[in-house]
Amino acid sequence: MDNSETFTALSTPHGESAIGIVRCSGQLCKSLASNIFGDHSPTPRLATVSNYKNQKGKFLDQVVYTYLEAEKSYTGDPMLEISCHGNPFVLQNILEDLVERGCRLAQPGEFTQTAFLNGKLDLSQAEAVVDLIKARTDLSFKAAAHQLKGSLSRRVNSLVEALLQIVAEIEAYIDFPEEDLPSEGDSAPCPKLSHLLNEISKLSDTAQTGIFLREGVQAIIVGKPNAGKSSILNRLLGEPRAIVSEEPGTTRDYIEASFFVNPYRINIIDTAGIYETEDLIGKEGIRKTLEQMALSDIIILTIDSSEPPPKFIPNVSKLLLPEKTLVIKNKSDLEPCPKLTGFMKGFPQVILSALKTTGFDQLKNEIRKLLGGPTASEKGDVIAVSARHHTALLKTEDDLKNALSLLESDKPAELVASHLREGIANLETIVGKIDNERMLDKLFAQFCIGK
Amino acid sequence: MRISNKEPFNVIVCGAGHAGVEAALAAARMGSRTLLLSGNIDTIGAMSCNPAIGGQAKGHIVREIDALGGEMAINADTTGIQYRLLNSSKGESVQAPRIQSDKKAYQFRLKHTIEHQNNLVLFQATVTGLIFQHGCVVGCKTNLGLDFFGETVVVTTGTFLRGLMHVGQNQNKGGRMGDFSSESLSDSFLEAGIELERLKTGTPPRILGRSIDFVNLEEQPGDEIPTLFAFYDTREQTDLFHVEHSEERKPGWLPGENQVSCWITYTSEKSHGVIQENLSKSAMYSGAIEGAGPRYCPSIEDKIVRFSDKARHRLFLEPEGRNTNEYYINGLSTSLPFDVQEQILETIPGLENAQLMRPAYAVEYDFAPPTQLFASLESKLVENLFFAGQINGTSGYEEAGGQGLLAGINAVKKSRGEDPLILQRHESYIGVLVDDLVTKGTHEPYRMFTSRAEHRLLLNHSSAEIRLSKYVKDSGNISFYRWGRITHKVNAIDKWEPELEKSKSKGGTFAEAVRRGETDIEFPHDFLSETKEIQKEVLYRIRYKGYLNRELRLVERMATVDRIKLPKNFNYSNVRGLRNESAAKLTSIQPLNLGQAKRISGVNPSDISILMVLLESGKLSTVRN
Ligand SMILES: Nc1nc2c(ncn2[C@@H]2O[C@H](COP(=O)(O)OP(=O)(O)OP(=O)(O)O)[C@@H](O)[C@H]2O)c(=O)[nH]1
Ligand SMILES: [Mg+2]
Repeated sequence: MDNSETFTALSTPHGESAIGIVRCSGQLCKSLASNIFGDHSPTPRLATVSNYKNQKGKFLDQVVYTYLEAEKSYTGDPMLEISCHGNPFVLQNILEDLVERGCRLAQPGEFTQTAFLNGKLDLSQAEAVVDLIKARTDLSFKAAAHQLKGSLSRRVNSLVEALLQIVAEIEAYIDFPEEDLPSEGDSAPCPKLSHLLNEISKLSDTAQTGIFLREGVQAIIVGKPNAGKSSILNRLLGEPRAIVSEEPGTTRDYIEASFFVNPYRINIIDTAGIYETEDLIGKEGIRKTLEQMALSDIIILTIDSSEPPPKFIPNVSKLLLPEKTLVIKNKSDLEPCPKLTGFMKGFPQVILSALKTTGFDQLKNEIRKLLGGPTASEKGDVIAVSARHHTALLKTEDDLKNALSLLESDKPAELVASHLREGIANLETIVGKIDNERMLDKLFAQFCIGK
Repeated sequence: MRISNKEPFNVIVCGAGHAGVEAALAAARMGSRTLLLSGNIDTIGAMSCNPAIGGQAKGHIVREIDALGGEMAINADTTGIQYRLLNSSKGESVQAPRIQSDKKAYQFRLKHTIEHQNNLVLFQATVTGLIFQHGCVVGCKTNLGLDFFGETVVVTTGTFLRGLMHVGQNQNKGGRMGDFSSESLSDSFLEAGIELERLKTGTPPRILGRSIDFVNLEEQPGDEIPTLFAFYDTREQTDLFHVEHSEERKPGWLPGENQVSCWITYTSEKSHGVIQENLSKSAMYSGAIEGAGPRYCPSIEDKIVRFSDKARHRLFLEPEGRNTNEYYINGLSTSLPFDVQEQILETIPGLENAQLMRPAYAVEYDFAPPTQLFASLESKLVENLFFAGQINGTSGYEEAGGQGLLAGINAVKKSRGEDPLILQRHESYIGVLVDDLVTKGTHEPYRMFTSRAEHRLLLNHSSAEIRLSKYVKDSGNISFYRWGRITHKVNAIDKWEPELEKSKSKGGTFAEAVRRGETDIEFPHDFLSETKEIQKEVLYRIRYKGYLNRELRLVERMATVDRIKLPKNFNYSNVRGLRNESAAKLTSIQPLNLGQAKRISGVNPSDISILMVLLESGKLSTVRN
């Protein structure tokens, strides 16, 4: 590895903020401390206040700098961290000065990559760091932090253990036909395999939660004109974002906004009401709404509960899938229309009043329920697998299903084993090498081999 | 050929056990002047443990030995007293032949074969040390004060290096009951910088057959139609008993004649009581033994302690030959004292009055951790020095034979300046064996299992010849005639496989009918007139087509990492990013390519990623020390 290169980057988000941190990593860091701050032998990990002057001697900012020796730093190389005031102009000047002093700007993710290359992180931890940086709500932070500590590896490892146990039982009958083993029918690998399959799919299902946690949830509010869609949006945001009036057709174009239903960040779109029209602009609006409905994770269908139930054209109703649609019966402060009973049966429903601000806690709960996955109050590990893990788990599921169907149809054991081994190989892409010795250990622990 | 001739031999083999015999025969058959040294030439090819060859995975190895021109297969076939195909109810890739041997006949035939082999000198002398020059081995010293010089030396000394036998608290030096141990050879290795470690193994008691009461014992007869190890479909009729350049017949008999049975009995609650009471007298439990024993072959005291819920343990009584009344009690390996062994026998049905002939004992010995070897079995530390057999930490005659054969071939190739023969994991069990040894090493006597071969579906025993004989085509190990027959076999299989996929039978192609598991298929007449072996292999390939193709794809994928070469004599501790453990492992094992590095235990995928990133950027060569 080339030791001479020291790279630098702004490690807080761009834009105005209270504080901005510039980090450098590489062999130059010590001499930077000496040249910039006159600190010839910086005490590692000690935060020191000093003035930042550029090479030409111009004062840029009052800053706090911290020097980290290679052994204790994040990247595994010497590092220098400079906290300054979050003025973009100052930060820009500092970065430029550092480049003039011999640093280069870091590639995206280079700090983490260096940490990985220096053996400070394993692959799944490195992935977790990237998630951690992106995490915006409490729980997604927790999930990433847990992965960093290895709770995903632990969980997958327990699946590996279970799988190795099943393989060991099958291999024992292949490799030791001369041994006095319990009769082959007794070991019944099928139920164990089904159970394991179930566990694996539970884990791989957390991938969706993972995506929700990392990227946020896409939601859309739809309904007839004047149902109170914009009023509900405003209540959810806690600010009058959309114009509300008794005039149907108030909202003409999309309104996009986001709010939190802990642990999720919900990106929501308020739309123009759906109605039958020959008007070109109206038609185009509905086409766009349909498109967004298909892409959304949640559809919030709003109706005016004082009116008779609305009817929708088939193109709309077929997008209202029960697993992602939530029905809001708005205007509960008014006399409910009796014809409404039985409307959209089987869908989650919330009765609320945007005017009186009632029923919103229930709405948030229903959203959470619809998204499934962990809740902030849940104890223990929060596990949400990444897309790469998800793929590996799906492949493993396939292998195990194949093995199960061969077992059930009494096919030769070595073919069953061949699928199970493929499954182990797929899990290896998550937890790293699984040596065959581990299977043999289980085999010899369980069966008395030794003719 | 005078032994005292000052001209060096091409190959010297030290030790005439199962590895040494194969090494010496292979070298001589390839035309190299070969010397085979043994401390006692009456014990050539001795079966120190059970009187049987083959079984699961081991039987596969024996067939591979035959494919490469070795002797073990045909020797076992012609001196067998019972023949069985194991796993006959399972799929073909995991079936394997096993043969009970007449121990003495086995040895006589081997000795006879060696005596009649051109280019091969057999001489009785104990090797006491190696002679080194400039980091190379150039010969060896013997107890007779005679030095022998050779371009290459193959060490196959089994369990004889500082062998120590235990019967209870009683200890004797020696590698096998009745034989001596080699004490000074170990020093020679240490002097050359070769590390040694200790291993332990055990063997059960032998009893007198006429003192066994067979009446209530379960009989285990052989198969009516014996499954043999050697490939007779490609051999000459005379191969079985004909001796090279001689009118003489080799000892042995027609396989399958006059088979004898083994007998099954069980330990009893009483036996377990006796063992429990005397546990502290066991050499293993008292801590007198330091070496690690094998998990797959625990002593009876181990079985009773670890599987205390098992009411009885099965024992096999195996006859040791036609001209002896000695029986081997398979399953009763122990290091308990002699008197306790007698007490145990009294509690076993059928053995109440059994007369002990040789007590069970445990043996501890030095082995040279095989990670110090290249995949050619040549030492990384001393040039021209090859190791094979139990000295590499393996157990079993078959594992030894396979290595011996490979070491013999490679010793010749080395002396001729040719590239070594490296067998791949997807081609043979011998390839799996050697790769496991040199990349992972071992902490117990290494025994082959089919589950160690990730591509075992490709390694069905009957395809061994098709997989391997190409490697010894012009070597002298297989005859010109046999090569012709093998070529015919390969061509016929290559022709019939697609043919049956194409041509129609009732309701689809023949191949589809085979895969549906139909039994009454009327195959084309021409196909049925091919040999049984050809038909069998064609049907195997068709039946498992999907699986075999998938395996081949996996092999191909793996081959791409195998093609990524790593630098030689490389110090990985200079590579930033590698964890210390991996760096140390990589530095000591010196994998030749990324695939091998990947198989080293303790080297993680993240370490491989690092190597890959560095190789990719061309930076790995720049961190050379
Ligand atoms: N009584 C009552 N009136 C409500 C409630 N929610 C909304 N309204 C009224 O209903 C009318 C329509 O509200 P909007 O929020 O503009 O409805 P919309 O669905 O966005 O309408 P368009 O944008 O025109 O499609 C306004 O006069 C609101 O004040 C409610 O809970 N109770
Ligand atoms: Mg609106």
